[in-house]
Amino acid sequence: MKSFEFFEPTTLAEASRLFAEEHAQLLAGGTDLVIGMKALTETPQSVISLQKIPGLTGITTEADNSISIGAMTKVREVELSADILQHHTALAEGAAEIGSIQIRNLATVGGNIAHASPAADTVAGLLVADAQVHIASADGERTVPINELFTGPGETVLTPGEIITRFRLPSPASGSHYIKHKIREVMDLAFIGVAAAINMDNGTIAEARIGLAAVAPTPIRATEAEELLKGNAPTPALLEQAGEAAAAASSPISDLRCSAEHRREMVDVLTRRTLEQASERASG
Amino acid sequence: MAKLPVSLTINGDEHDLLIEPRKTLLAVLRDTIGLTGTKEGCSTGDCGACTVIVDGKAVTSCMVLGVTASGKEITTIEGLAGDGELHPVQQAFIETGGYQCGFCTPGFIMASKALIDENPDRTEEEFRHALGGNICRCTGYTKILEAVLKAAEEIRTTT
Amino acid sequence: MSEYTVVGQTVARVDAVEKVTGAAQYGADVHPPGMLYGKLVRSKHAHANIRSIDTSEAEKLPGVRAIITQDDVPSGRRVFATDKVLYLGEPIAAVAATDPDIAEEAAERIKIDYEVLPVVQDVMEAIKPSAPRLHGDGTKDGPNRREISGEIRTLSRDKENDHSDAISNLEAELENYPDEVYYNISAESHTEAGDVEKGFAESDVVVEDTYVIPRVHQTYMEPHVSVASADSSGKITVWASTQGPFAIRSGIAGTLGIPLTQINVIGTTMGGGFGGRFGVIITHVPAVLLSQKTGRPVRVQMTREEEFTDGRPAPGCVIKLKTGATNDGRILAREALAFWDSGSVSGASIGSTIRVRGVYKIPNLKVDAYGVHTNKSGTAAYRAPGAPQAIFAGESQLDEIAERIGMDPVKFRLMNMREEGDEVPAGSSEPKVGYKETLEAVADAAGWWDREAGENQGWGVAVGDWTNGCGPGGVYVSVHEDGSVRIFHGSMDITGTDTAISQIIAEILTVPYESVTIRRGDTDSAPYSTGSGGSVVTFTMGNTAKLAAEDAHRRILELASERLNTNVDDLELRDGKVHVTSADPPKSISLGELAAYSLSTTGGPIVGKGSFARQASTPALAAQIAKVEVDPGTGRTRVLKLVASQDVGFAINPMAVEGQIEGGTVQGYAWAMMEEMQYDENGNVNPGFVDYRVPTSADLPTVESVIVEVPAPNGPYGAKGVGEPPITPTLATMANAVKDAIGIRINELPIKPEKIVNALKSNGH
Ligand SMILES: Cc1cc2nc3c(=O)[nH]c(=O)nc-3n(C[C@@H](O)[C@@H](O)[C@H](O)COP(=O)(O)OP(=O)(O)OC[C@H]3O[C@@H](n4cnc5c(N)ncnc54)[C@H](O)[C@@H]3O)c2cc1C
Ligand code: FES
Ligand code: FES
Repeated sequence: MKSFEFFEPTTLAEASRLFAEEHAQLLAGGTDLVIGMKALTETPQSVISLQKIPGLTGITTEADNSISIGAMTKVREVELSADILQHHTALAEGAAEIGSIQIRNLATVGGNIAHASPAADTVAGLLVADAQVHIASADGERTVPINELFTGPGETVLTPGEIITRFRLPSPASGSHYIKHKIREVMDLAFIGVAAAINMDNGTIAEARIGLAAVAPTPIRATEAEELLKGNAPTPALLEQAGEAAAAASSPISDLRCSAEHRREMVDVLTRRTLEQASERASG
Repeated sequence: MAKLPVSLTINGDEHDLLIEPRKTLLAVLRDTIGLTGTKEGCSTGDCGACTVIVDGKAVTSCMVLGVTASGKEITTIEGLAGDGELHPVQQAFIETGGYQCGFCTPGFIMASKALIDENPDRTEEEFRHALGGNICRCTGYTKILEAVLKAAEEIRTTT
Repeated sequence: MSEYTVVGQTVARVDAVEKVTGAAQYGADVHPPGMLYGKLVRSKHAHANIRSIDTSEAEKLPGVRAIITQDDVPSGRRVFATDKVLYLGEPIAAVAATDPDIAEEAAERIKIDYEVLPVVQDVMEAIKPSAPRLHGDGTKDGPNRREISGEIRTLSRDKENDHSDAISNLEAELENYPDEVYYNISAESHTEAGDVEKGFAESDVVVEDTYVIPRVHQTYMEPHVSVASADSSGKITVWASTQGPFAIRSGIAGTLGIPLTQINVIGTTMGGGFGGRFGVIITHVPAVLLSQKTGRPVRVQMTREEEFTDGRPAPGCVIKLKTGATNDGRILAREALAFWDSGSVSGASIGSTIRVRGVYKIPNLKVDAYGVHTNKSGTAAYRAPGAPQAIFAGESQLDEIAERIGMDPVKFRLMNMREEGDEVPAGSSEPKVGYKETLEAVADAAGWWDREAGENQGWGVAVGDWTNGCGPGGVYVSVHEDGSVRIFHGSMDITGTDTAISQIIAEILTVPYESVTIRRGDTDSAPYSTGSGGSVVTFTMGNTAKLAAEDAHRRILELASERLNTNVDDLELRDGKVHVTSADPPKSISLGELAAYSLSTTGGPIVGKGSFARQASTPALAAQIAKVEVDPGTGRTRVLKLVASQDVGFAINPMAVEGQIEGGTVQGYAWAMMEEMQYDENGNVNPGFVDYRVPTSADLPTVESVIVEVPAPNGPYGAKGVGEPPITPTLATMANAVKDAIGIRINELPIKPEKIVNALKSNGH
């Protein structure tokens, strides 16, 4: 690891000011940053910890049934939160897929998103929750819908000095589910990840959201598939069509883990399965 | 770069130290304090050999910058046995043969202890899943799981 | 069983408390005062000429104490690459600094100018005339090509049953290159017995297939580390996490050209080895050289990434195998052609290709094997070196034959297994081994005979054989005046062998296991001991311990006869006391009293000595059954049941024996299903646990182990080495189970989800 100066600001304003400087990097839980610094892919001259800033952690349910998750909330907490489990099951399931308990006790949901890995396990769940990303900087606050946050692998619309403060999840869907394709049962990175959230209305799908991870340079929503589903009953034939549409929407790469073709096929299979599960939950 | 003062409570003892920000908690424990029971198997968070308990939660100490642990309570494998008595998890690992080379053992014992403290009623399947962050290359896990279930039972019935 | 009181019983290991409290000292826990941190500077290319090495920027860094290259090796023996690097991660220089981060930074600052050369990573590419040569043009060690007789030329396969793209590409390419010459050959081995052509001609069924087995890493959990300290008199002390301190001592002495006695190697507690921790590994000599140069102790510790790029893993290989059998189930002939990926140096376990013969009566056998150079690090032993690869091919193909002739795979194996006195193909006469007993035991335990399989579920069986090695060793036993017994020796314990030695000595001296303590010496103090690998320790050191205890036993009776004024023949050692057998009232003297007596008279301390070299070993068999379920949508495979039996001769400590069986079986499972070192033209591309997957507890069920005991005539109490056999059949066990589940055989490991999905697809799913 290269040496760096370490700062532990206690206010967002101070953190934002320090982070806006050149060669500065934020430290949340450290599980991405410390790895990067060890591998020398990250060589910041100053590291600014967010750990001492009050108000960035915790999960709260608002009067309008929306849920707010502080950016510094540990993914272990997201995974175990009764509210998230009930209303945003896909997100809780995604959080539970990250690394090990030891990692989830460190990793934050803000870091998982800000790091912008296309394979991040909370991202599909947040996509189908239609999460709003609240961002603070010296210039004030702004809000970005999660599906507009990412611009490429490791790239977001965040500018120097901008810090994610929380995620706001508007009114929940009635059923959602996340599936990760992997080899090892735990401690594997997603070959692909698929989340689906469904609202049912009298046996037909009123609203469907499908979030895909590790199938394109950024996490994406499978909008054509979502359209196909809307207003129809979740029959096996329809879900199969949706799976195919989601696969068609993805543009995966081949790498050492598997081929692009395999990824696309898994999008097909797993979209069908997540939809099945999500619509069952939504009906139940 | 300048060293920073940190104050760590490790196994009940306070340590006031000056450390470089780039040193991980694992490096501080092993190299600065000399507590070498915590092991380094990968330094990338993948093997669990470096697991310690910080403020009641099991974490991989190779992923934690030492400076961020200031003011926290840290328990390592050296702090588990009290009054000359082994902790039930340690005892169970001996009785079931839950180790061979022993390199993964401190990490496994710390992770298991944290899991049992949190919920001793897990099923074997749940423990298998929850211990997935710890790699053992020697045992094939069968006897480790026996040890963990035995310790959980012991702790459940005595508390 | 009951005739013994200590051996054959499960006991807690001698190192139990230190291992569960963190007190055990492993290599990286050694920290002599003033220690510096060493770091190897490694090649960033898989094949390149080195034009220049510039250390000037690194030297300027505060805290750097020494930088060495091949110029600093006084003996001139190759430690670092000079003109050419042959693989990514090959050491070129080393740095010592006051802090590990500084050492790392200095290593980064060393500028190496490379001329990049073409790379070859695939063995089947490397043997072609168009391939870049690693040791080419006669300038490097040995010849680079081998003429072979034109008999086995092209690799063909059973098209119906094989769905591997890699294999079909390879065949297409093999068709248009001259088949009489292979290039980049590092070694070869040829064996023939009987007449295979005749055997195939007489067969009703002939199956031919090509099997591809990846290079895998032993993945001992403690990365390589050495701490060296050279003092001003020239004496060198090395703390090494090693399976064989004596081999390290001679290796360092040879490399540096200095006498053995100038080096003391202290074997520390070791975080696994599995064969990868033998001999002079990469860190020892640089640590010594850096310490000599700086006058301070130096630790060189590899990272996990360095383990993958510059470890010495198990070789991958391509095996073409052909088997002929009659419709009534007799195997008549088997022929193998194997290409082993030995990396940049020779040394892959090509001789193990002979293991395709299995434990069967095969009258006609022909085996041709080649080691092939590629741009990878060299290889080393991994638990039964070479056997898992060869047995994977052999046992997979056996199932195919069984299926064609409509015979149950277990019955087919039982029918062909050798019995005592049978001729071993290309070998001698078979001793008594529990082949059938072991296979029957696993079949019974797993419920094979009334097995049921739901949809997408399948059962697989396979067996694997291995014979433990042996080597020289010495043990001293002394009896103290409080009756306690102390053992002293120089052999490394990973798996609980110190415990077995203690049990054997306690048994013979009739004392409780608890009153025996064991101490390992360094190479300066302990008698020579062979390395701990090849399943040698229980066999060798067990026999040595027995000899030492018997020697002490003899001495004890002599002393007692003197003390009690009785003929030796009338004495018996029992319960830690020497009894006069005929005395009435009973008369006895305790070991403690005798030891004290001996000290105060002319006898001196009671010491027994055992020294052993070798005796014929007996093969051991591991038999395994797996039940799996495959998800046809995702190709993921779940193991529902894994049962492993093994003929261990005699289980000195049953709990430790079970541990070996369980651990070896899981390593085999992982080789079959997930582990694979991947390479491209830049070198190893998965140097970490993220993409080199070793299984966790979540991937597995309980492994059920079944101990079978058919005593080995020369083993201590009949014991055989137990460490290696359990990994040998598992690769095939898994492949056979997957075949049973999905109806398609996958011959290229690991059986990843993608391969299953593709296989199902090409089969019309
Ligand atoms: C062994 C291991 C296994 C893993 N397995 C998985 C897995 O299976 N699935 C998965 O998705 N991930 C996995 N991860 C990665 C996962 O732990 C991280 O993505 C984690 O969630 C990042 O959060 P953090 O708090 O640790 O971020 P840090 O490492 O502290 O931060 C990473 C970067 O994110 C940015 N950042 C962090 N917080 C903010 C903020 N509030 N505002 C703006 N920018 C911010 C900064 O640039 C920072 O440098 C694994 C990691 C490890 C070590
Ligand atoms: S050393 Fe920390 S997880 Fe492996
Ligand atoms: S006992 Fe050796 S790694 Fe677990």
